[in-house]
Amino acid sequence: MDALYFEDFSPGEVVEFGDRLVTAEEIVEFARQFDPQPFHLDEAAARQSVAGGLIASGWHSVALMMRMICDELFVGSSSQGSPGIESIDWLKPVRPGDRLSVRLTTVGTRPTRSRPEIGVVEMRFDLLNQNRELVMRQQGSVFFGRRTNGEAQR
Amino acid sequence: MIGMWYEDHEVGQTAPLGAHRFTREAILDFARQFDPQPFHLDEAAAAKSMFGGLCASGWHTVSVSMRLLVDGRRAQRQALAAHGETPPPLGLGRGVRDLRWSAPVRPGDEIAFSLRVESLRETRRPDWGLIGMRIVGVNQDGREVCAYTLIGLAARRPA
Repeated sequence: MDALYFEDFSPGEVVEFGDRLVTAEEIVEFARQFDPQPFHLDEAAARQSVAGGLIASGWHSVALMMRMICDELFVGSSSQGSPGIESIDWLKPVRPGDRLSVRLTTVGTRPTRSRPEIGVVEMRFDLLNQNRELVMRQQGSVFFGRRTNGEAQR
Repeated sequence: MIGMWYEDHEVGQTAPLGAHRFTREAILDFARQFDPQPFHLDEAAAAKSMFGGLCASGWHTVSVSMRLLVDGRRAQRQALAAHGETPPPLGLGRGVRDLRWSAPVRPGDEIAFSLRVESLRETRRPDWGLIGMRIVGVNQDGREVCAYTLIGLAARRPA
């Protein structure tokens, strides 16, 4: 894939990618490191909880989605990280055996005033499960390099 | 210390969550699994990036803050249980608002996290309320590295 630049994104564009099977083992492994609550750690304890069974940490869902985004978009691109995320909504639980994919909508693009070599792409990432249910929605901005330096165009 | 039931919270309350030192190994390990961008994996590539050197994935930073939050709550639950009280049922997170990464987290940085109760809202369900908590991470030089509002359900004290 050719490196992606700021100029490659157009508002309104939608792309889908990724196919990630989630296992109970990795749900528990992530939880042990970062979110050791019973409903992320232990099936029996999770059944007694409000979750009704083992579910992935919301931060694990975020991390799994990030990996799919990196593999599809960011690695090898001109991406320069993100200044922040407006919102994350955990809408449905992610359970062992779920298959996750990502739907990216480009919400908007804008040049940066202070850094002409960089532009901001506003993106909405939807995480879908195998039933095409929306399990998580994340909206935020990503810095991308510009193919033509904004300064050079002045 | 802030109590564990919804009713124990007041807007403006603050609490420290503890500090965590980010090692190079842990930064690389998280990045390899979840965020394999060059500025999280490779010193030479990172030096040429906007970050000017290797830095932790922002998702690593916030995941660590969650761990500290959960550890603190677990200690509180154990203390309640030791006094013969039943701790409240655990609620699930609903989402995050206004997450900012304002400075990179470098290998060796020690980040101290704190929380501030930002909002309280009753829900249609009598047994759960919604709490918004602003969580902020500050490095060893006193510089803020990340901040976000975590919105989650908290059990209401039975009448």
